[in-house]
Amino acid sequence: MKTKFNGLLTLILALLVQITFAQEKTVTGKVSDASGPLPGVTVVVKGTNTGTQTDFDGNYSINAATGAVLQYSYLGMQDIEKTVGASNVINVVMKESAEALEEVVVTAVGISRNEKELGYNVQSVAAEDINTRPNADIVNSLAGATSGVQIVSSAGDAGASTFITIRGSASITGNNQPLFIVNGMPIISGGGSSGVGGVNTSSRSIDINPDDIESLSVLKGGAATALYGVRAANGAIIITTKSGKNLSSKKIEFHTSYGIDEVSQLPGMQNTYAQGNNGGWIGGFQRSWGPKISDLEYDGDETYKWDPNGKLVPKGTGNGNPAVAYNPYDFFQTGTVTNNRLSISNGSDTGSFFFSISNLDQEGIIPNNQYGRTTVRLNATTKVSDNISFGADLAYTNSRAVQIQKGSNVSGIMLGLLRTPPTFDNSAGYEFPDGTQRNYRNGGGYDNPYWTANNIAFDEDVNRFTGSVNFNVKFNDFFNISYNGGLDWYNRRYIDQFKIGSRGAPTGYLGEYMYYTGIFNSDLLFNFQKDITEDFNAKLSLGNNFYSTFGKSLFGDADGLEIPDFYQLSNTSTNTTSSGESQFRTMAVFADLQLGYKNMLFLGLTGRNDWSTTMPENNDSAFYPSASLGFVFTELEAFDDIDFLSFGKLRASAARTANIAGPYNTSSYYYGASTADGWTNGVNFPYNGETGFQVGTGLGNPDLKHETQDSWEIGTDLRLFQNKLGIDFTYFENKNSDLLMSVPIASSTGFSSVFLNAASMESKGIEISVNATPIKTENFKWDITANYTQFTNIVTALAEGVENVFLGGFTVPQVRAVVGQEYRSIFGNDWYRDANGRILINDDPTDSYRDGYPMPNDAQGMVPIGDFNADWTANITNTVSYKNFTLSALLDIKAGGMMYNGTAFAMNYMGTSKRTENREVYYTPEGTIDFDLTPAENIVVMDGVYGHVDANGNGVSSGVENVTPVVQDEDWFEGNGSNFGGGPSVAAMEPADWVRLRNITLSYDIPKFSEVVKEAQIYFTGKNLWISTPYSGVDPETNLGGATNGQGMDYFNNPGTKSYLLGLKVTF
Amino acid sequence: MRNIKIFNIKSLVLVFSLMLMGTSCSEWIDHDLNTDPDAPADVPMNLLLPAIQQSMGYNLVGNNTVRTNNIWMQQFDGTDRQSFTEARYALKPSDVNNPWGSIYTEMLMNTKLLINKSKAEGKESPHYEGVGQVMVATTLGIATDLWGDMPFSKAFKGTENVLHPAYDSQEKIYDTIFTILDDAIVNLSSTSNVLDVSGDVIYGGNVSKWKKAAASIKARHALQLSEKNGSAAYTQALAAVANGFTSNADDMLVPWETANKNPIFQFMEQRGDIRMGATLVNMLAANDDPRLPFYAAKDGDGNYTGSEAGSENTAASQPGSYNAGADAPSVLMSYSELKFIEAEAKLMLGQSGAQEAYEAAVAASVLRVTGSANTAWLDANINGVTATLEDIIVQKYIAGYSTNQPYADYRRTGYPNLSLANGAVTGSIPSRFPYAQSELDYNTENVPSVVITDKVWWDQ
Repeated sequence: MKTKFNGLLTLILALLVQITFAQEKTVTGKVSDASGPLPGVTVVVKGTNTGTQTDFDGNYSINAATGAVLQYSYLGMQDIEKTVGASNVINVVMKESAEALEEVVVTAVGISRNEKELGYNVQSVAAEDINTRPNADIVNSLAGATSGVQIVSSAGDAGASTFITIRGSASITGNNQPLFIVNGMPIISGGGSSGVGGVNTSSRSIDINPDDIESLSVLKGGAATALYGVRAANGAIIITTKSGKNLSSKKIEFHTSYGIDEVSQLPGMQNTYAQGNNGGWIGGFQRSWGPKISDLEYDGDETYKWDPNGKLVPKGTGNGNPAVAYNPYDFFQTGTVTNNRLSISNGSDTGSFFFSISNLDQEGIIPNNQYGRTTVRLNATTKVSDNISFGADLAYTNSRAVQIQKGSNVSGIMLGLLRTPPTFDNSAGYEFPDGTQRNYRNGGGYDNPYWTANNIAFDEDVNRFTGSVNFNVKFNDFFNISYNGGLDWYNRRYIDQFKIGSRGAPTGYLGEYMYYTGIFNSDLLFNFQKDITEDFNAKLSLGNNFYSTFGKSLFGDADGLEIPDFYQLSNTSTNTTSSGESQFRTMAVFADLQLGYKNMLFLGLTGRNDWSTTMPENNDSAFYPSASLGFVFTELEAFDDIDFLSFGKLRASAARTANIAGPYNTSSYYYGASTADGWTNGVNFPYNGETGFQVGTGLGNPDLKHETQDSWEIGTDLRLFQNKLGIDFTYFENKNSDLLMSVPIASSTGFSSVFLNAASMESKGIEISVNATPIKTENFKWDITANYTQFTNIVTALAEGVENVFLGGFTVPQVRAVVGQEYRSIFGNDWYRDANGRILINDDPTDSYRDGYPMPNDAQGMVPIGDFNADWTANITNTVSYKNFTLSALLDIKAGGMMYNGTAFAMNYMGTSKRTENREVYYTPEGTIDFDLTPAENIVVMDGVYGHVDANGNGVSSGVENVTPVVQDEDWFEGNGSNFGGGPSVAAMEPADWVRLRNITLSYDIPKFSEVVKEAQIYFTGKNLWISTPYSGVDPETNLGGATNGQGMDYFNNPGTKSYLLGLKVTF
Repeated sequence: MRNIKIFNIKSLVLVFSLMLMGTSCSEWIDHDLNTDPDAPADVPMNLLLPAIQQSMGYNLVGNNTVRTNNIWMQQFDGTDRQSFTEARYALKPSDVNNPWGSIYTEMLMNTKLLINKSKAEGKESPHYEGVGQVMVATTLGIATDLWGDMPFSKAFKGTENVLHPAYDSQEKIYDTIFTILDDAIVNLSSTSNVLDVSGDVIYGGNVSKWKKAAASIKARHALQLSEKNGSAAYTQALAAVANGFTSNADDMLVPWETANKNPIFQFMEQRGDIRMGATLVNMLAANDDPRLPFYAAKDGDGNYTGSEAGSENTAASQPGSYNAGADAPSVLMSYSELKFIEAEAKLMLGQSGAQEAYEAAVAASVLRVTGSANTAWLDANINGVTATLEDIIVQKYIAGYSTNQPYADYRRTGYPNLSLANGAVTGSIPSRFPYAQSELDYNTENVPSVVITDKVWWDQ
């Protein structure tokens, strides 16, 4: 697509700048390919701005001097050059090219390479696939776009964070997300982890205006990223923004879109039973184990303030108004997104510029959840001479959001919503005139979701500047110097406010946070290139890099607000403040040597040495080499006659990359004291007029080494049947060792962790990409792109004596790294099981366990109970073009992986989950289930074998399949059928596979209707319009803790969305 | 002209580039940057002391351990969620990670550092050392009564790479407690002390009160060995009592305030899953005990009611201002408890003064809880009514509400008589806490294998 775009630009340029010279003559001719005349071929006089395009019959006419060179280019064809001779007629036959292979891709440290030469896998994502998606954060648009990339969006909230990894994870507790490079500058991209409560905040990749992107490539393996040294272990996303470089006159692009978001799937809720306990209605009660709603009516008691209809009483004893089951999901609204983008660019012999401005405003599906972004970008280049150019790239972004509480949090939207009994209408008012709260717990318990949405806000504002300067000085054909250096800097502030009367902060709360952070980066390259012989050429770059990051935060908070609705730190007697600061630097020297032989064999060698302030002084240096080989075997004569194989390449590469420790891990410190008990907010200092410090619970380590990632990959790139079918296959292995981490230790050591080079893990797997064009006619084209990824990511060792490490989650369950298991195992309590892993069903009538039910094995502690990782993923994009219409659909498949559905597990206890609907049970006078009266669907036989727990606490199996019918009644769900009742977390694990129509886009290129409007397109995009998943909760593409290594947790997560977007792009 | 200009630019670029290349590693890679600007490498003792005491108040005698065993003792009842599960005696290793962790990393580790600092050359401050030792003994004593064997002699050596500390038997822990307390009394009596104790939120640096506390804690644990040592336990307890607290003004309390609220208050505010236990409320109500309106809040109907163990009666009274007020202190040890120890020891040894001590114990509790002497009530219900061992322990149970002592005494004496909770998942009230998940995970080879109905050493 990029080629097409450039071709178009060249054409515009050619049409607009008609410069003729006296000695020119008119050359005419016909351009065709194997199937006949080719319309739309761009013909340009080389080295000038003179150009034209072939007409419908493939004919062209152009003015050119004798001896001038004509260049013929067309999408998907090899470029051809012809010198104008004596003849005035030049006919040309074009051959199809392997289009992507002619693509120039930007590789590490901004070095451009022809993709054909590469000895490792690089995948590009088309700009249109990013800027027409209804996603504010470009990372969401990369989902399903390539192989080898894993993306999870934390929730459907406007501005919610995203989590991206490439080829799995390389670190246990450190950063696993790739490096983001924009125009050669590394930028800050992470953020957005939130813990189990709080709000979903943004990942800073959201600050990029998708429309500014000209190209995006994904560097996956070690050899591709080795030149980034200590920042290379997680792959890289290389973004090049638009510029005016290929223009010779102005270009104005306007892009507007309007989208709506709707809530996608939601947990099922029962709507048969009222609030209460043991079958009786109790106003204000936490749970919904009351009477059947159909047996109740209101009493019309106007003094009962919690319900305008009065209390619920048995039918026939009230005012005759029947009880109603409300739909709690009426809470969600239709979200909207308005996005306007304008860019102006221009170019000439002496320089170019690109200017863009954009504004996005989004209202979420949760009332008052908002995200907005305004961006400005200017990049400009001036040529002092043919050999010297200077440029600058400046970008400003304002990101602003209002986020709403989520997760395990008494103010969480879904927590309050899903625990509400069907007989309580949250929407009938959330605040009484006296300012106190109306909720289903009679003012206690959880916040009414409407209260949360209207009275609790997390108001965030980010102002970000990125600026860099660059120059390129060409001393001669052999040697040039290029430089790129700059700063990525932002200021983030938020105000976290809870109105007085909020359940999470009964006396009100204000948190005010100010933070600034930045990266400084400087890359200087000395570039040499020489064709040593006709067949043999060499390129060498020598460079150095300076890098530093710094950040400073200031935080003040207060509860006990005196003046209601006044959020200022002065409005309390109990404010506390804290500050934080962090800084480190690295520097590096590096070399990149590329050798090419006969357009067939390409060898790349790189080496980089890094120094870092965060490593011990006597061990602050590390060297990282890589080697890659690309062998275009179809260049061998033996393949000349093999017609079906248009192109074939074998790739092999190996690299060592690594990572450094974060700052301040080489020694131990004291910190300002505070304590909490896991149940409450706890206490801190100042306290009783004193200042308090305590020793850090993490032990520093002066003997740290660098982490190491040894990786290799092999692959092949094949183009068949005149490029109608392309297959790319890669096998990769990453072995990560000496991984730096805080190793948890028994607190009886006096500490809870020690920082060590402790762990190793490996990731290995395959990536397959297939491109096919089954049909291509003049008016109709059908393209298929598919990617398949399958890998394992196993923790091979942790520190001695450490079998697992906490990554995220609760006291129970947790996400952990476990030796010998897939990275990110979910760790929780299990049932008693037999030797074959089958659940034991109690058959001992004398013990305290209910007969016919499984028994939780608490004494065993927590064990691995599943993991979120996919067995494999695949995505298929079908694109059908007919005349000016293009329809594209992306089907995204995740196979395997489990998620902790803590939402449903807790709702079981509350009696609100769908599965508690089948609770009606009748007993005989003897106390056994009355099978005649009890509805058949309410009787189940639990899966397992009979057994019991012996006096020593060991499970004993009788080996016989359980056939005892039991009921899942209130006792069950308030017991081992729920988390609060003491049930083991394994009972809440659900498969989280999916097949989803992640994206569908229909676009129409409006035929040229005006001289002013060069191009116009109207499009419709839909996202997640169809999802098929066995997961019974919200869209399983979610994570409670946001962008963290601890993935796979759902505990009252905010739901996902489906989106519809209508857009218009116009180019002047 | 143009060429010259370009040549100059090229020269400048080359010079700039070479300068950049030549920037030495040592200038840019400044390792001083790797010192955390926000965290000191060392702090004085008066800043460590209040942090240790705050954690003791919050985690040792606040909500974390006390809530669970007061539910088991039916002083509270867990009526919802995790507390309801605890009410049925299900307590998992992961449930006790937080208290176990804070005992070791916050209380004991920092006290060890404080004690080390107190011995610094030229600044020898035995008074600080003695205060630290009393806090270690207090913490260790309450902890071992809940967990039995614990790592201590091999613990706190993370810096020496001892990452899997062996466990000391509870018998050895008890010996350690007594030794430390004897040492503490010597240190607190020292006349050559450089730095006065400051930052002390418990006694405001009053060394003589710390000496009384050392003796009182010693009395508590001497008595706790009554099943093991018989009359020797009582004799040792009485010897310690003689040097212990002499009035309520000596009570070892951790204060709370508006900015740092009481842990039970915070639990009720943020979780709210417990109510008053019916056993305690009925006991108080039957006697018209003046402490009831302070121990419990009125329920929705304006009465003081309790939830029967395991009955999820959320309509029952919530805890009252005495232990769940925002600024109600947490109790590490009280004069009242000391007098109960004296009463029990004297009674069991057949010595005179048991009754007087008993009456003084109840009076001290009533005064502290209600703020007035309530002499008439004492005369009518306590004074002159000859106390049996059961009477003493039952009154100690009432006075010890919202501490760990009722659970320790219950296991030792069997008083008060408690019936099993509705829906119990064990055959008896648990005899101990399970070991923390962090020990199961990271100290696997040393952690004893126990179930929560196993008895600790002094209970065997």
